[in-house]
Amino acid sequence: MTGRWHAFVRLLAVQGAWNYERMLGVGVGYASEPLMKSLREADPQRGTEATSRAAMFFNCHPYLAGVAVGATAASEQAGEPGEKILRLRTALSGTLGALGDQLFWVGLLPALMALALIVTAAGAPWWGVGLFLVGYNASRVAVSWWGLRIGLHHGPGVGRAIAASVLRRASGWAGVAAGLLVGIALPIVGRSLTSGMGSVEGASVLLLAGLGLGVALLSGRAFSGIRYGLALVVLVMLWHGIFT
Amino acid sequence: MEWVAVVPVALWVWATLVGVDLVSVPQSMIARPLVAAVVAGALLGDVLGAARVGLVLELYALDVVPVGAARYPDYGAASAGAVVVAAGQPWEGALGIAVAVGLLLAALGGWTMPVLRQLNSRAVARHREGLNAGDPRLVRRLQYEGLVRDAARSGFLAFVAIASGLFARSWVPLDPGLGRAMAVAVTGAGLATALGGAVRTAGRTARLKWLGAGLVAGGAIVVAW
Repeated sequence: MTGRWHAFVRLLAVQGAWNYERMLGVGVGYASEPLMKSLREADPQRGTEATSRAAMFFNCHPYLAGVAVGATAASEQAGEPGEKILRLRTALSGTLGALGDQLFWVGLLPALMALALIVTAAGAPWWGVGLFLVGYNASRVAVSWWGLRIGLHHGPGVGRAIAASVLRRASGWAGVAAGLLVGIALPIVGRSLTSGMGSVEGASVLLLAGLGLGVALLSGRAFSGIRYGLALVVLVMLWHGIFT
Repeated sequence: MEWVAVVPVALWVWATLVGVDLVSVPQSMIARPLVAAVVAGALLGDVLGAARVGLVLELYALDVVPVGAARYPDYGAASAGAVVVAAGQPWEGALGIAVAVGLLLAALGGWTMPVLRQLNSRAVARHREGLNAGDPRLVRRLQYEGLVRDAARSGFLAFVAIASGLFARSWVPLDPGLGRAMAVAVTGAGLATALGGAVRTAGRTARLKWLGAGLVAGGAIVVAW
C-alpha cells in the first residue's frame, strides 16, 4: 500500500481518540503519519514538527478530514512555514465541518434512510437495509477519497478547489432530497406501523403525533423524542393501572 | 443446543460492533436502529418483527444530528436489546415494551460518550509534552488506546442491552390492552419526533416546501395503498 492508501484507511478511524482537548487532532495526526514518512526520512526535524502540528487541535466533519490531512501534508512537503499551515488548518476546520454536516448529517443520511424506511415499510427490510448501506457508504468512501486526493493535489490552495467543486451544490441537493423523501416516508411508515391497529388506535397515533409535533415546534431544540415517548409509556401504564 | 448457545454471543458481538461503528470506526452507519435491528432479528430468527422495532426506533433517531461534541443517544446496542424483547412475540404485546427498553438503553448509551471523551482527554493531557514534541509512536498509541476504550464501552453497553432485553422479555405478553396502548404511544411519539426534527432542520428554507410536498405525496400514496 502507498502512503495515500494507508492514510485513507486510517481516516476511517479518524474519530477513534476524539477528546475535548484536541477533538479530532489525534486522529488527524494518526491519519497524516503515512504521508509524512518521506519528510521524516529526508528532514527529521521538519518531520517531527509536522507530526506535532498534525496532532494539534482540529475539528471538522469526519468524512472530510481527508481534505485537511492531504492539504497539510502537501504543505509540509512543500516546505510552507508552520504558521501558514496552522492558519490553513484553522480555516479548513469550520468550512469542512459545515459542508460535511450539510452534505451528510442533514442531507444524504436522512434521504437514504427515508428510502430504506419506505422499502422496509413495503415489506422488504433486507432490501431497505442493503440499499441504504451500499448507497451511503459508496457516497461516503467516494467523498473521503476525493477529499484526500484534492487536499494532496492543491495543498494550501485547497479552499479554492473546494469552493469550485460540486460538493457545495451537492449539499444543497441532498438537503432538498432529504426534505422530500422524509416527507414521503413518514405517512408510509405511519400507515405500515398502524396497519394492525383499529381505527381508534390509528386515530390515537395521529393525535399523539400531532400533540408531540406541536410541543416539538414550540420547544425547539429542547424537545426530546426519547423523553416524550417514555413519558407517554409511563402515562399509559398509570392509566391502565388506575382504570383497569 | 450448540446453535442456541452461539446466538447470544453472536448478538453481543454484533451489538459491540455497532457501538464501535457509531463512535470510532468505520462509521458506516450499521449503528442505525433499522440496520442494527434487522441484523439482530436475523440472528434471533425474526426479521420482520425486528424490522418493526427498527422502524419505530429509526423515527426517533432521525431527529439526531451527531455534530461535534454533542451528546447524542446511542441507538445501536439499544436496538439489539429492543429486538431481544420483541423477537418471536406478537407485536401487540411486545412492541411498546421493546421500544421503551430501546429508548432507555439509547439514553444510557448517550451518557457513556462524555465518559469516553473524558478518558481520552485525560490520556491526551497526560501525554501533552510528547504530542507537542511530535512523537509519531505516541500519536499511534493514543489512537489505539482510544479505540480500545470505545470497544470496551460498546462491549459493556451490548452486554447491558442484551441482559435488559432478556429481563424485559419476561414481562411479555402484557395485558393485550396495555401492550397495544403502549405500541400506540411509542409509534405516535416516534412520528412526532421524526416530523418535528425534519421541520426544525428545514427551518424557513426551500427544504420546508419540499418536506411539505413529500408529506402530500406520501399521504397520497397511503390513500391509494
